Amino acid sequence: MSVQKLKDEAARALGRKDVKYLIGYKKGSYGFRVSPAFIEPKEDIEQLIISPLCNMSLVKYVMMEETLPGLTEQAMKPSKIAIVARGCDSRAINLLIEEKGVPRDKLYIIGVSCKGVIDQRKIEALFPQVTEPAEVTEENGNYIISFQGESHTVPKEELLAELCKVCQYPTPLIYDKLIGDKLPARPANYDDIAAFEALPVEERLAYWQQQFTKCVRCYACRNVCPLCYSTICSLDSLSPQWLRRSVDTSENFMFQIIRTFHLAGRCIGCGECERVCPMNLPLMKLNRKLEKDAKELFGYESGKDPKAKSLLTTFHTEDPQGFIL
Amino acid sequence: MDVLILQKDSIKDFLSSLSTDYLLWAPIEKDGDTLFQPLLDCNNNSPDLAHQAIIIKHSIFPQTEPLYSYDQNDQIQAPDAQDIKQNILFGVRPCDARSFSLLDPVFKGDVPDPYYLARRNKALLIGMACTKPFANCFCTSVGGNPCGQEGLDLLCTDLGDRYLVAVLSEKGKEIINKTSSLFIAAPAEEIKQGAELAQNAERSMKRRIDLAGVTDTLGRIFENPVWKKMALKCIGCGICTYTCPTCYCFDMQDEPMAKKRGRRVRVWDSCMYKEYTLHASGHNPRPTRVERLKNRIYHKFKFNVDTFGTFGCVGCGRCITLCPVNEDIIENLLAVKGAA
Repeated sequence: MSVQKLKDEAARALGRKDVKYLIGYKKGSYGFRVSPAFIEPKEDIEQLIISPLCNMSLVKYVMMEETLPGLTEQAMKPSKIAIVARGCDSRAINLLIEEKGVPRDKLYIIGVSCKGVIDQRKIEALFPQVTEPAEVTEENGNYIISFQGESHTVPKEELLAELCKVCQYPTPLIYDKLIGDKLPARPANYDDIAAFEALPVEERLAYWQQQFTKCVRCYACRNVCPLCYSTICSLDSLSPQWLRRSVDTSENFMFQIIRTFHLAGRCIGCGECERVCPMNLPLMKLNRKLEKDAKELFGYESGKDPKAKSLLTTFHTEDPQGFIL
Repeated sequence: MDVLILQKDSIKDFLSSLSTDYLLWAPIEKDGDTLFQPLLDCNNNSPDLAHQAIIIKHSIFPQTEPLYSYDQNDQIQAPDAQDIKQNILFGVRPCDARSFSLLDPVFKGDVPDPYYLARRNKALLIGMACTKPFANCFCTSVGGNPCGQEGLDLLCTDLGDRYLVAVLSEKGKEIINKTSSLFIAAPAEEIKQGAELAQNAERSMKRRIDLAGVTDTLGRIFENPVWKKMALKCIGCGICTYTCPTCYCFDMQDEPMAKKRGRRVRVWDSCMYKEYTLHASGHNPRPTRVERLKNRIYHKFKFNVDTFGTFGCVGCGRCITLCPVNEDIIENLLAVKGAA
């Protein structure tokens, strides 16, 4: 991934008359955390970075945009947001376009071929208490990690986010400009989910009970999800109140069932929900089960094509109907 | 002030002896996370003292607290404060101990809160000095200290194979007396070693900010464009407020129960949520993330100072470490200073 190329493309995007600002990544304020960067035309593009530390999705910000005051007027104008998108992000964008959540011509997409990103928890466990912002590059299957004047080489496998190991589409599926070589698509791999499905139901229930007991309902999983963009969310509704504000295992189950099912046939597997969870809940285990079902039962993969019809709006007579008949 | 030595081998005996009379809370490792939970089995479970618990305030201020239950004939049942057991919070970091001192005036207020105070008055705090502060700790910038004693009954300092235990209150003295055979008086050499560790810890803190005058500055920049810029990356989740040891906002809810009964519960609320300031009319005086993020900073660094005379922040760094989008309160405060 070439940072210079990204900066060149960003400069070109921000030079266009129809682009109002660009969403990319910049160095974070400490250690291994990167920060989203919102850059308006004529602002400094030198702050932009792209590295294996860029482990957050920026797509959500497209959907949050109009909630800021002052931008409403601007948003009425036919202008675009330029956004840096990795493979998974491009699938989220595809799905948003498909669902008419965002019009295609509102986005100027700078696609980045992605070789996978670093799991923040893993790298912080390996190098705890790093205060100064670190830099990471990838070379021959290793990450070269530099901070505080030191440089460390760590095998990529050790730090790579688990989800990136099963990523099918490392190259963006939709973009205006692509940075980096196209990487081949990889076959789906749901071995982890199949192994979990094979456990007895009591064991699975006990597992989730234990996990959901930890949930504190900070709603970070919902808020960060690029596909949770309802302006009125059933979880916030007070009348009727679908979900009690009491935090206990039962209500937490309900919350996570609502959240997960709302992503049935929609989740594109970016793993943001799991990444942001302060209580470390394995939420992608739920999402990937739905992904697997969508694929196995309906041959459907979300976010592959912006012109596709979303799974839940289509019906074919040959669809499996085992649950009815 | 007594200073004693407790061998690390004896910590299990010390905790076991406490757990018979007290409900013992401690940081406990679970699936790779450190949670502050009751330590029920001291023999097979040892506290995780190397990390900071994700949340601590729930031990005194539970996330969900039933206040009373009622039926259709107005028969009200409230929990009895007598039922609350004496608590010991073990392995409390000095910043967290201070946070309870900041919560106290809120709940003592004009109308004392019996639910909070029942737990608080029955709690004894055993601290663990931060001889190795974490990456985002900034307690020294908000009036704290990594080895500070405020709000603690005992403070332990790790000396390798033993703990230096400073006895800081009468309550602390009482529990030492119960297990006095485990303790010996600390030799001057080790007291000196403890003081050196504390000095080094303070010096090793990398994240600092000079907050002199920040309250006055906040009084002048309410409409400054800096807030909009600051809030752009916030996703409006509750991580910063729920993990914050000094955030205390709550909501009251009535919930139906079985057998035609209902209950009124108190649950944590977060000023980062849209619903937090939503009026019945549908109007929301804090309609976007900008106003909400702004409120969080104003509350901690202006309103709390105006009302209680202290910052509403102990510098534990949780909101920085756990924020998934790098919303960093130190950077925010630097931006505030820059906007002045």
